[in-house]
Amino acid sequence: MSLANKVVSLKDAAAMVSDGDQVAIGGHTQRRHPMAILYEMVRQGRKNLRLVGWNNGIDMDLLVGAGCVSEIQTSYVGMGKYGLALNFRRAAQAGEIDIFEESENTALERFRAGAMAIPFIPSKGPLGSDLMRYERETLTMTCPFTGERVAALRASRPDVALIHAHRADKKGNVQLDEEIVMENIADGFIGRSAKTVIVSVEEIVETSEIMLAATRTLLPNFFVHAVVELPCGAHPCCCDTRYDYDFAFTDKYYEASRAPQAFRKFLDEYVYGIPDHDAYLAKVGLDGR
Amino acid sequence: MPRTQDYSNEELMAVVIARELRDGDVAFVGLGTGGRAFVLAVGVPTAACQLARLTHAPNLSLMLGPIINPDPSSQPSSYADSDLIRWPSEAQVRVEECLDCFKLGKITVSFVSGSQVDRYGNLNVVAIGDTARPKVRLVGPIAQTDHLAAPARNFIVNDLSPRTFVDKVDFISGAGYLDGEQRREDHGLPSQGPWRLISDLAMFEFDEATRRLKVRALYPGVAPEDVASRMSFEPLGLDSAHELEPPRPEELQVLRERVDSKGLLLEAKIDSGV
Repeated sequence: MSLANKVVSLKDAAAMVSDGDQVAIGGHTQRRHPMAILYEMVRQGRKNLRLVGWNNGIDMDLLVGAGCVSEIQTSYVGMGKYGLALNFRRAAQAGEIDIFEESENTALERFRAGAMAIPFIPSKGPLGSDLMRYERETLTMTCPFTGERVAALRASRPDVALIHAHRADKKGNVQLDEEIVMENIADGFIGRSAKTVIVSVEEIVETSEIMLAATRTLLPNFFVHAVVELPCGAHPCCCDTRYDYDFAFTDKYYEASRAPQAFRKFLDEYVYGIPDHDAYLAKVGLDGR
Repeated sequence: MPRTQDYSNEELMAVVIARELRDGDVAFVGLGTGGRAFVLAVGVPTAACQLARLTHAPNLSLMLGPIINPDPSSQPSSYADSDLIRWPSEAQVRVEECLDCFKLGKITVSFVSGSQVDRYGNLNVVAIGDTARPKVRLVGPIAQTDHLAAPARNFIVNDLSPRTFVDKVDFISGAGYLDGEQRREDHGLPSQGPWRLISDLAMFEFDEATRRLKVRALYPGVAPEDVASRMSFEPLGLDSAHELEPPRPEELQVLRERVDSKGLLLEAKIDSGV
């Protein structure tokens, strides 16, 4: 037997996601989302995805704008300083997607529960609010010990998790440069809760290099099913200290997202008309990085 | 409503909040957003906390998202990640620890805003109109639900407007006092709901028995009808409200010289990063 090699092409990674899957997306707000994989899923015409996350933005807005989504479960789909996420807004107002409202805490608790292999987790957070409306995901119960009223949050066990990280080896050990930085740690819960984990990384390194920085491993190899090397794979999101937001590009995205036809043109130019990640990097002026 | 004053409304709001903060408080301020939303949700609360720390509350801890007690003297001019990560601070904690601090009651003060606010302090940042096919879809609950479920003194910070201050919110993303009286307790929430509402014209509190929004003090030069005309319901206490003491020179001096000399917080000159 030879050592497993989990490195796959971008096309093969995106093809591991099926129409109708529940797909968890790592990163948060406009940070370190696995954008290159999402672009490829758009290119491959994925449909009826049920997206789940804890704090999202351009990642979910892109997939909604490209018609890939039937359901969303998260605490936020917005564009930060730009304001509302406009593709998401249009689809929500037209009643085209089912939305399960979460708070940051309830969303994270569901991933935590999934990663602990428990069926639900009690929480007081959503009590009294309209987050209690979504009975598929949240019911009330009485604590068997204290008699307190609590909400039972169904655990998240997504079909697939898509995460963008800093580096990995061929075995699938995934590392971040620094672990406790700007809410990165949530990607560990998301990854451990999912049935299949696909990770894009800035760089693939030797296992010997991973082993010299063992405390930075976010997901040990046996949680990870596929690794794709995609430098700047979170663009136009930021990637911690590796690179910052590309606001010039996000300006273009946001303007295009104001109307369906303009957004279709944006997709033609930056997604459908682009064969692969290298061509995308050249198109946005990041080739040679 | 002409007013002659030697301070801005944002300075006034920061002073009003600072006076309500206590030594030993742990105050949570979120990160992100831009423009006016940044001023209300981040700028004014941050300035208020730093002002309180430098005056009557030296043991107040400020959590700026996961960042605990960042050094105010090296306030970055941008909240891009690369600046936040390198900002000297006492701790940067994991996000779930940060949210657990709410549940544990470690956070004693937090700041929230709503696109809709009703007479019981319920907040909505999800959707205007019928949630299934809303007139305006907003960004979603974020951590607002968690702030208001915690046993903390929540400050609602909002400009008054009849569109914002409505009889009943279309979706409760943050539970105030629900339908009033003991409804929070009935649902299993701690009795402490929203504590103060800081607006651009007046400070409000919540009546102890009914839990309805009640004027606590009008800002200097503001008449009751100025407030009434900018709300779609009438708050309690409008006619008996006293006028708030204007910012004292020493409060303004600390704000201007030591807290926000560049207008990053109160004039939103900061690059809000995301």
